[in-house]
Amino acid sequence: MASLVLLLFEALHPEDADLAAGMPASCARVLHGETSSRGSKREVMRSSRRSSPEIRKDGGVMEEEKLPEMRYQKLKNNLPFNHLINQPPSPASLSPAFGAATSTRRHSPATSGATTDNAMPLQRMKLQRNLEVWKMGVVNYLEALKLQERLAADRKVGKIPDTVLSLQHPPTYTLGKRQTYHNLLVSKDDLKTMGAELHCTERGGDITFHGPRQAILYPIISLRDIGFGARNYVEGLESTMIDLASLYGVRAHPGKAGETGVWVGNRKIGAIGVRISSGITSHGLAFNIDPDLKYFEHIVPCGILDKGVTSLKRETEMDLPADEVIHEQLIMCFAKFFQYNDVKWK
Amino acid sequence: MALKLWASSAANALKISCSGARAPPLPAFSLSRCFSSVLDGLKYSPSHEWVKHEGAVATVGITDHAQGHLGELVFVELPESGTPVKKGGSFGAVESVKATSDVNSPISGEVVEVNTKLSETPGLINSSPYEDGWLIKVKPSSPSELDSLMGSKEYTKFCEEEDAHH
Repeated sequence: MASLVLLLFEALHPEDADLAAGMPASCARVLHGETSSRGSKREVMRSSRRSSPEIRKDGGVMEEEKLPEMRYQKLKNNLPFNHLINQPPSPASLSPAFGAATSTRRHSPATSGATTDNAMPLQRMKLQRNLEVWKMGVVNYLEALKLQERLAADRKVGKIPDTVLSLQHPPTYTLGKRQTYHNLLVSKDDLKTMGAELHCTERGGDITFHGPRQAILYPIISLRDIGFGARNYVEGLESTMIDLASLYGVRAHPGKAGETGVWVGNRKIGAIGVRISSGITSHGLAFNIDPDLKYFEHIVPCGILDKGVTSLKRETEMDLPADEVIHEQLIMCFAKFFQYNDVKWK
Repeated sequence: MALKLWASSAANALKISCSGARAPPLPAFSLSRCFSSVLDGLKYSPSHEWVKHEGAVATVGITDHAQGHLGELVFVELPESGTPVKKGGSFGAVESVKATSDVNSPISGEVVEVNTKLSETPGLINSSPYEDGWLIKVKPSSPSELDSLMGSKEYTKFCEEEDAHH
């Protein structure tokens, strides 16, 4: 019976058989849709190790290929997430890394993935959605801004596919288009003393803080390709962060009307500020892994009084893995919501 | 939100044999999208702005479809009178749900009037996108540009096709 099911599975999705191979454990967990609320102590162990094989109860090591059949079923049911990662993310240092833009288009659908499309003509009709991920470490705010402007211009004319920058900033306060200086509670001199920068931007949203241990994603994607408006897009960014929080057993939720962002209770764990120009997005989301929350005391975060800020570290009971792993998981949550079936890691 | 996610994974789970289909995110406002109003007598751009040409002046705004996709507007940035605008070029921006979206002009010309009510009440665009929520009035420099814009039937079809990407 089990072998019949497996045969059926392979016939439907020949490429899924390779799915488990070469995938970092962090991404596999996102695919499995596992949350620690369902998990046991083993979940905790798994989350705190990077790219390590499964450990069985008897202490033996389970190869990825020998994952139980039930896991394969789960992977398959997470469509359209099949044949996605052709190159697993490589361990990146957190040193500032500024990749020069190589605007090579992803190869055609016929050759992408570890699959041959012959077996599944239905699958061919699925829209090919490519995402390119830039893992960048710690980046100065203005440099990241300039890079986004350049990439957005390239994306607009179709030179590059949908791209997402994954990075952290040194201590930086930023204002949105409305320039709500009144929500900055200290003087510019005080900012200098504490070693923080202040920048005005064209994004939506109010004042916020970015700093080390806060995961930032700047997706530069075409909303017109998917018929999305600002509202759907922002809901997608909220869902991305809510999904990630759930991996660590944290129940986050979107804010009420007018309070865009991701909350745990009445504490904000994730912020959003976006710019859409000619249907191309820039800026994006900021998710607090474990930043120094004292920096938020110098502003009225997002212009909302009487609500606090929090972080994943504060809200979860689990041990957290390295920031890089959490960044990868965040990207996978994003890729899942926006239905990318091909993710390329730079 | 959680219901949406659940519905999405349930839909995925049930589509075992129809792997060609993508489960859409099932946005809650999809019903209202079907009923976005499109007025006859106006011309429409692919970036969801409308223009009404009356004699020497053309009024420009964003469509019902656009305001629905944006969400509640909280801020509008408009140019000053006298500013030149170019067809397809950005002349201002609107903000909703922490997202600023550029607004583009469907025609070229010079801005002669700006809707100052919007600085106090940006929500007029949501409640009355074709009337009280107008954005700018333009003196067109090449009225023939209007001919290349979409009519109401074309624009309705355009919206349907764009939304079908979900």
